[in-house]
Amino acid sequence: MGGKVSATLGEIKNRADFIMYWGGNPAECHPRHFTRYTLIPKGKFLPNGRKDRTMVLVDIRETASARAADQFLQIRPGKDFELITALRAVVKGLPVDDALVAQTGITTETLHDLARQMKQCRFGVIFFGMGLSMTRGKHMNSAAILTLATELNAFTKFVTLPMRGHGNVTGSDMVMRWNTGYPFGVNLSRGYPRFNPGEYSTIDLLVRGDTDATLVLGADPGATMPQPAIEHLARTPTIVLDPKVTHTSKLARVHITTAATGVSAPGTVYRMDEVPMPLRPALKSPYPTDEEVVLKIIEAVNRKAPFAPRAESMMRTV
Amino acid sequence: MIRTAPASQDGLTIVPHATCTFCGCVCDDIELHAQGDRIVRAKSACSLGESWFKYHTAERNYPDALIDGQPATVDAAVERAAEYLHAAHMPLIYGLSNVTCEAQRGAVSLAELIGAVIDSHTSL
Repeated sequence: MGGKVSATLGEIKNRADFIMYWGGNPAECHPRHFTRYTLIPKGKFLPNGRKDRTMVLVDIRETASARAADQFLQIRPGKDFELITALRAVVKGLPVDDALVAQTGITTETLHDLARQMKQCRFGVIFFGMGLSMTRGKHMNSAAILTLATELNAFTKFVTLPMRGHGNVTGSDMVMRWNTGYPFGVNLSRGYPRFNPGEYSTIDLLVRGDTDATLVLGADPGATMPQPAIEHLARTPTIVLDPKVTHTSKLARVHITTAATGVSAPGTVYRMDEVPMPLRPALKSPYPTDEEVVLKIIEAVNRKAPFAPRAESMMRTV
Repeated sequence: MIRTAPASQDGLTIVPHATCTFCGCVCDDIELHAQGDRIVRAKSACSLGESWFKYHTAERNYPDALIDGQPATVDAAVERAAEYLHAAHMPLIYGLSNVTCEAQRGAVSLAELIGAVIDSHTSL
């Protein structure tokens, strides 16, 4: 996600006096987010901690996180994009149609009050979860909320961060970005990277039956993906690297047991604010790490004929 | 000074400032108490983190590798994996969210080598 206005969680802890969670339930999914990073801690510029901060929660239902919020805004499912767009208009002082705003489940009055709070804070942050980025509108919703935060910088300091779920999903974005230029769904079949979510994203590829072999690392698509995708994984050769024998391992042709990340495998993991953290494993695994197995597979593939001409064979000495 | 080296007494290994990789918060203030091949205590961790640390042990509960459901050696499984990936016209490398950056970097090199699509949970 290039071009987003962001900050580290440390900066948010020390400065953010307006905190918004949109489509996420940190109380149950990221239990220490409030206490360690955002709401509760006393910060350099917020000596009274929670008392100095305002928290607004936007979601389609009242989750456990609503109890921690100063204001809970319940919106109609699938109306996130409309609400963000209306909010962007109000922030800029443009007229909005009351009837259109009412469709989102929020009154124009509440919307104006929200825009006022956002413009008057000293340092605002929007955390958005999968309730925003995985519902109707998908990446267009994410783009809209990133734009809202960017535009608010005309009035005050405003940043936005996605609430990342899995441990090192941020790391995979980072590593793919610095290696290929794109964060996920990168097609290297022509020997150079191409990026097109929807075309090169896993579920779409598997459901269409485009792939003819899959290497699964630290994931269990056999338990989580739609049935046609699972059937395609079973039909084609699938290789799984995982600390456990998973659902996917059972339909795979090859499974290799690896050490558990952070528990018995060392390395680096990125936090959701893109800060890298070293791991300090407490146990010694009898299994190799994912990294060791991947490097062994590379060695084994390198012993075979290349699928495309290698650079050195194309070079000519003049 | 932050003490980061594990201390050991009575068969109990204490790892201060350990990092939890269960969710995107990646809290790095966990104190792990390990006894034998399991973690018995995860101080400062939340309920999700604690069960994550206690659930993953260093016991040998699974075969090193499986080929077509039959136990195999890692080397044989690696060789078979390389054959499938090399023979494929449109291989896919998927997941990456619960592995280290070092493993992810290896996965990107492998994707480049075999001309694969590489994708993570971000695309879900």
